[in-house]
Amino acid sequence: MPSFFNTWLPFIYLYVVGGLFFITGLIIAVKSGSLNKQIPRHRKWFWLLIFGYCFFFILHALLITAALYW
Amino acid sequence: MDRIHTIGTQTDWVVMIVYLVAILLFGSYFSKYNHNTTDFFFGGRRFSWWLIAMSIVATGVSSHSFVKYSAKAWEYGFSSSMAYMNDWFFIPFFMFGWLPIVVYSKIRSIPEYFEKRFSPSARFFVTILQLLYLVGYIGIGFLTMGKAILPLMPPTMSLFGLEINITLMGLIIVIAFVTGAYTTFGGQIAVLFTDLVQGFMLLLAGLMVFIIGIDYVGGWHAFWNLLPTEWKMPLAHYNKPSDFNFVGIFWQDGIAGSVGFLFMNMGLIMRFMSAKSVNEGRKAATFNILFMLPVSAIVVSGGGWVGKAMSMLSNSPIPANTEPDFIFVVVANIIMGPGVFGFVVAALAAALMSTVNTLLNASSAVYVNDIYNPMRIWLKKLKKNDKGNEKRALLVARIATVAFTILGVLAVIPFSSYPTVYEAHGYFHSTLTPPLVIAIFLGVFWKKFTPAGVIATVIGGVSLMVLGAYYPGVLIAPFDHGTPMDPVHPYTYIGALYNTFVCLAVGVIVTLFHKQFTKTVNRIKKYSNRNLIMSVMVIVCAIFFMLVILNIGGVQFLFIASLIMTFLVSMISSYYIKYDPIAQTEGLTVSSLHRAKEMFKGSKLNERDGEIVKVNWNVRKDDEDFVNLSKHEMNKMNAEVGDLIYVSDARKYLGGLKSFHSTIGEPHAEEGIIYISKEHLQNGLLIKGRLLTAEKEM
Repeated sequence: MPSFFNTWLPFIYLYVVGGLFFITGLIIAVKSGSLNKQIPRHRKWFWLLIFGYCFFFILHALLITAALYW
Repeated sequence: MDRIHTIGTQTDWVVMIVYLVAILLFGSYFSKYNHNTTDFFFGGRRFSWWLIAMSIVATGVSSHSFVKYSAKAWEYGFSSSMAYMNDWFFIPFFMFGWLPIVVYSKIRSIPEYFEKRFSPSARFFVTILQLLYLVGYIGIGFLTMGKAILPLMPPTMSLFGLEINITLMGLIIVIAFVTGAYTTFGGQIAVLFTDLVQGFMLLLAGLMVFIIGIDYVGGWHAFWNLLPTEWKMPLAHYNKPSDFNFVGIFWQDGIAGSVGFLFMNMGLIMRFMSAKSVNEGRKAATFNILFMLPVSAIVVSGGGWVGKAMSMLSNSPIPANTEPDFIFVVVANIIMGPGVFGFVVAALAAALMSTVNTLLNASSAVYVNDIYNPMRIWLKKLKKNDKGNEKRALLVARIATVAFTILGVLAVIPFSSYPTVYEAHGYFHSTLTPPLVIAIFLGVFWKKFTPAGVIATVIGGVSLMVLGAYYPGVLIAPFDHGTPMDPVHPYTYIGALYNTFVCLAVGVIVTLFHKQFTKTVNRIKKYSNRNLIMSVMVIVCAIFFMLVILNIGGVQFLFIASLIMTFLVSMISSYYIKYDPIAQTEGLTVSSLHRAKEMFKGSKLNERDGEIVKVNWNVRKDDEDFVNLSKHEMNKMNAEVGDLIYVSDARKYLGGLKSFHSTIGEPHAEEGIIYISKEHLQNGLLIKGRLLTAEKEM
């Protein structure tokens, strides 16, 4: 069985450090008015951005689980 | 190690040559759509998202990807795919920051942004870095192409009785000649359309290798069970070994590489600039990262994964002397029949052309817009805002393409010292991207960032980066997260974290001390010997920079010299550069995007959603740049006189090839008819009797 350094640590690092960049980008876009949640089209973009983050998070988690237990 | 030679059959060669000639002819056909440098470089800002997305695939999934990711897949397994699934973190910055700014500020190159936002001197320094980045990228492209084709070639060949040794460098020169010729005459529209075809071909070739390879080893179950657990992990080991570890690659690829690719890869930016609108660009980026990149990860790594599984078989067909960079071609040759292997290698070869010709096109765009035209303005041969002679500019662009092809070939020499293309590319990214990435990032997202800050980032940051390269054990080691240092190629990946950190620190500190610098400079301006003082500062900076470059004086002395130099550069910049923090940030930072749109349109915005209408068309006799619609259509579109409009052939599969942008003029009474000018007809390449769609832009 591979060690924590080969399994979940890279995953945690990726989504915590990467997530900080992602959240910062989202906050800047919303605060600056560039992503205006009053505009319906922009609201869709906002949720699509969140979906993208969750999509990769789940995809990586599933791939690690499959490698370890399947 | 003996290299593998002469794999493949005559049929493969015939297929390869037919494929390459067909692609060349296909690209040449589209060169007729180049009317001016805007078409040549940017494709005329007219295309639909799906066309842009597919052409991005061909650039992203290029031959260097096939070679480098298959190599790491062969050495380390599924974790080779991690670089393809870590680009989402910066997408909010790109879609709602950089992309709209690039489009609405109407810049033609990244350095031009720096002139508008900061000063001409900032543009000069950024141009140098940008060209180094592009030439380096072209070099990587040529190197990988040579490595992909070399196994197919015999060790020697006879031409007119002359025995010629086939070397990697010789092969690269021939490849460069063909690629350079194609881009020189095709331009961006040719690139876009050949990429559309090549995008499909590449995906097909990569998936074929993966699927047929799995079948070869006995099906999915056998393939899965042949691989050890470590090889199935999607992310590499946290910090080991030095040539492939997660944390180093996260900073090199996930951070520096992703931001570099999205923000400063002029080739990619030009693709987005050829989208018909910002929203179409966003759609293309989303589709690409969310859907195409995970698929591409399988496509580019599949050869290596299958190769690893094949090597686990009791009678492995993989030759023992296979170099990692050759694994994709070797595996394809084993599992594919004659002709099919030729198709796979041809798709690979065409992909390199796709990547390299995009970069060549981008390099010549930077040269024409940031060196040639500013030089002509400076020499007073061209007035500012004057477009000049378009034919002449096109000729210069083509000559520049040839010159950059040659420089690209020369850039191969340093990269060929790395054991694999992956490491060469990793080092290239971690070294060349951080200063530009930080300069762009702070420029776009931090209104307070000053010209002194950007120039100090480029000069002071580069100086500290060079020091890091000379003394990695002292300067980069504190950032290494426990990754081991390879003495021959130290900190290939994690060096990106140090480089990004020093550039960011320099930019932020210099900007935060802006008031103090201004006070000191104002005091100096009152002295009678102010010019002498400034000249001494410039000379001291030049001496310190040379000492760093030549590594004279030891790490402590050079570190202090770099800091002093950064301080002096900030003073010099504050002294000479005239900067208006209000005018020069308007429409150029994320906080003033609304203003950027207004400036782009030239009047108040109309952001009410409206319908897309279908209309027949008639031509007016004049050449004025406006179109006339009926009141009925304008109401449906929620449009007003003065709004921007996008008019396109109604056939969606053309992806906007036959289209143009204009402004809405006074309405008329004929429902279902749009009146256009002769120039619209010519630029839009419209066909008589064909229905058009009209869409309000803003």
